Amino acid sequence: MRYVLLIALREYAENVKTKGFWIGLFLFPILILAGINVPRFLEEHATPTRYFLVLDRSGEAAEVIRRATDEHQERRIYEACLEYVEKHPSERALELARSAAGDEERTRAMLEQLPGDLAELKARMEEWKEAGFRAFRAAGGHEAFLAAAEAQGFLAPDRPPFELPPRRFVQLDRVPGLDPQAPPEELVAEIKRRMKAEEGFEFDGKPVELFAVVVVPEGVFDPNGGARVEFWTKNLADDDLRDLVRNALDEELRRRGFAAAGVDQDEIRRIQALTVDLAAKDPTKKAGEEEASKSDIVRQWAPAGFVYLLWIALMSVVQMLLNNTIEEKSNRIVEVLLSSVTPGELMAGKLFGIAAVGLTMLLAWVATLIGILQWQAGPGSEIPALLLDVIRSSGLILPFLGYFVAAYLLYSGIFLAIGSVCNTLKEAQNFMGPVMLIMMVPLLTMMFIPREPNGVLATVLSWIPLYTPFVMMNRFASPDLPTFDLVGTSVLLAVSVVVMIWLTGKIFRIAVLRTGQPPKLLEMLRWLRARD
Amino acid sequence: MSDLAPALVLAGVTKRFGDFTAVDDLSLEVPKGSISGFLGPNGAGKTTTIRMVLDIIRPTSGRISILGRPSALEVRDRIGYLPEEKGLYKKMKAAATIAYFASLKGLDRRRARRRAYELLERYGLKDFAEARTEALSKGMQQKVQVLASIAHEPEFVVLDEPFSGLDPVNQEVMEQVIRDMSAAGSTIIFSTHVMAHAERICDRIVLIAKGRKMFDGTIPEAKALMPRRVLVEGGDGLAALAELPAVAAARPPAAGDGAWEFQLREGADPQDLLQACFERGVRLRRFDRREPDLHEVFVHLVGPEAKEAAFR
Repeated sequence: MRYVLLIALREYAENVKTKGFWIGLFLFPILILAGINVPRFLEEHATPTRYFLVLDRSGEAAEVIRRATDEHQERRIYEACLEYVEKHPSERALELARSAAGDEERTRAMLEQLPGDLAELKARMEEWKEAGFRAFRAAGGHEAFLAAAEAQGFLAPDRPPFELPPRRFVQLDRVPGLDPQAPPEELVAEIKRRMKAEEGFEFDGKPVELFAVVVVPEGVFDPNGGARVEFWTKNLADDDLRDLVRNALDEELRRRGFAAAGVDQDEIRRIQALTVDLAAKDPTKKAGEEEASKSDIVRQWAPAGFVYLLWIALMSVVQMLLNNTIEEKSNRIVEVLLSSVTPGELMAGKLFGIAAVGLTMLLAWVATLIGILQWQAGPGSEIPALLLDVIRSSGLILPFLGYFVAAYLLYSGIFLAIGSVCNTLKEAQNFMGPVMLIMMVPLLTMMFIPREPNGVLATVLSWIPLYTPFVMMNRFASPDLPTFDLVGTSVLLAVSVVVMIWLTGKIFRIAVLRTGQPPKLLEMLRWLRARD
Repeated sequence: MSDLAPALVLAGVTKRFGDFTAVDDLSLEVPKGSISGFLGPNGAGKTTTIRMVLDIIRPTSGRISILGRPSALEVRDRIGYLPEEKGLYKKMKAAATIAYFASLKGLDRRRARRRAYELLERYGLKDFAEARTEALSKGMQQKVQVLASIAHEPEFVVLDEPFSGLDPVNQEVMEQVIRDMSAAGSTIIFSTHVMAHAERICDRIVLIAKGRKMFDGTIPEAKALMPRRVLVEGGDGLAALAELPAVAAARPPAAGDGAWEFQLREGADPQDLLQACFERGVRLRRFDRREPDLHEVFVHLVGPEAKEAAFR
């Protein structure tokens, strides 16, 4: 046992020292953080201001589009204001937030009130946001908003000044050097030439490039439709402006249509806001609580995340095991080791050592995951908070670690056997192909299982020991996981682990001292049959 | 277990791999405290024998007793082993490597560490104690490995080709390591292709070819297997000495060397030859008994067909 421990300690110490381990350790939180923040950052900073020209023959469309881009900008200011207040809160504001957050009853009540259906929830949130925006506008925009926040004492005294977000879209009525009264064909031809040549022009003292030209014909708002608006741009990928223009024109067209039909403006707005209240209910829950909450949905999908984590962690540690075994074998270190310890002790030491490396990595990941979610969770980003709540309350961590250990022992058997029969990594690659194919299955099925956690696919896969850890982890999403499945697969898994380790031991003992060509499969089968 | 019991006994040990017989009915005894050389051409079965001695592989038949036990694993803490193909953990530091292997031999970790530094200092690698082994030269790596195999001060040391890959200076260091261990009371067996090392440091040699033992004994005993030779240089009449009953064969002087070489029959005394010279009034300028070296014994015993293999 002492020797097993010594070997395990070395494996642990040496693997934890490798660059790969640390890269893996840090890459994960960095990826998560990036996943949360990069889209937000890109949205805010990486998209340049788009200058576009509207050649309006209708005499009305330019104004409609201008209103739409102005409103778009006002919304951005509104969001920037919210973020500003959130980022620079005063002590008093923090105190208020703490007391509200500490009030678990209230939080729970709020969460329960959230609709269960994601689409429904999204619609509801849009509504709130819309209402907030209307109030913001009515109050007089960002200056009034910030003055009010200041008056309430919600803002930290040492905050940086508020910066207006740059406009995304700037609408031009004419491009310098072009006569707007010229015939449209001529104008368009000239502008197309300029855009092709990437010829810029001066605007506000800065050289800018024309992003798009919107050519609006006469009669665009003819209630019978049929007018064709042209949107010229070299950049077809960024369709924000195109959508904005189209929506603005559509809305105006419809509004006029309704008006022509004699429908009242307020009535239109009311009708447009109508939705069906579709509540997702769960029959397994107690009466009164059947409404599936948002956290139920997260709960259903969280295991898929864990499956992914399990898979990545497993792949990285069994790879370590394979590399180490091959290193010892190709360097003939194994001979010295075997003059000191038995093959069984060597194998056990390696298994435990690498298992400890894997667990360290996983615990670090789970800890950083919770840490990051806690850090990112705040007003305005309730998904991290919900995830956190689910991770804490669902009890997924323990089965996760348990399944990791089981999966590790099972797969490490395969990888140790491969490592012990191969002399180089290159030789091992030949064996790895089929093993990788086998290992891909849980990843490929991961997204389907939560939809039908007790379906045929899930049930069949969970009875295959190689897939049990992944699929069962996935099936934890189901609120009524059959106990028979849970216990039965666990027992089968445990038995398989024991058998696998025993078989690997046999192969390992013989193969690890062998040199030359890797053995044929038939030969390995003979080893399994052989007695000591 | 008395002190006089041999450290290692092999009795009728045979190892077959499939149809191939690597070691064939090998029996030998290694006395305690001796330095024994395992000599033989490549593929003779030296490494297989050594692996069986260490119980890394099991013999097909026959009996092995090491330090009084049937399996080396029972006394593994008292045995040190350097395998033929040398290798180390590339990313591990030299001192840590030695300490690790010593701790696997039962030394507690702190003592193992101290011992590692001590050995590295004694054999000139002090400055490399904290270097990763992959950064060391091949010779240094090999030294580290040798030190790793003996750091726990084993009673019984098995070195498979300890000299291969070392430059002459480090070969001498290696010889010194072996002598130091012997002086400390260890029993040492090592295999080698280089006869000079065996001749300088071995008490006994075991000669193996094609899995069979060809010879087992002390170096003087080995040399006694070769016919004695005498080099004689002098006046006329030396050619007639070839007719003497004591002389088995004679070789006339080669160009540049004026001496006749006479090979004596077994049991004959060079004295007889000298006396014959006096009786015949031959004026002698030189009369040398020529000791055979181990190289010649080796070639004599394992045959010229092994020569190429052994010295390539």
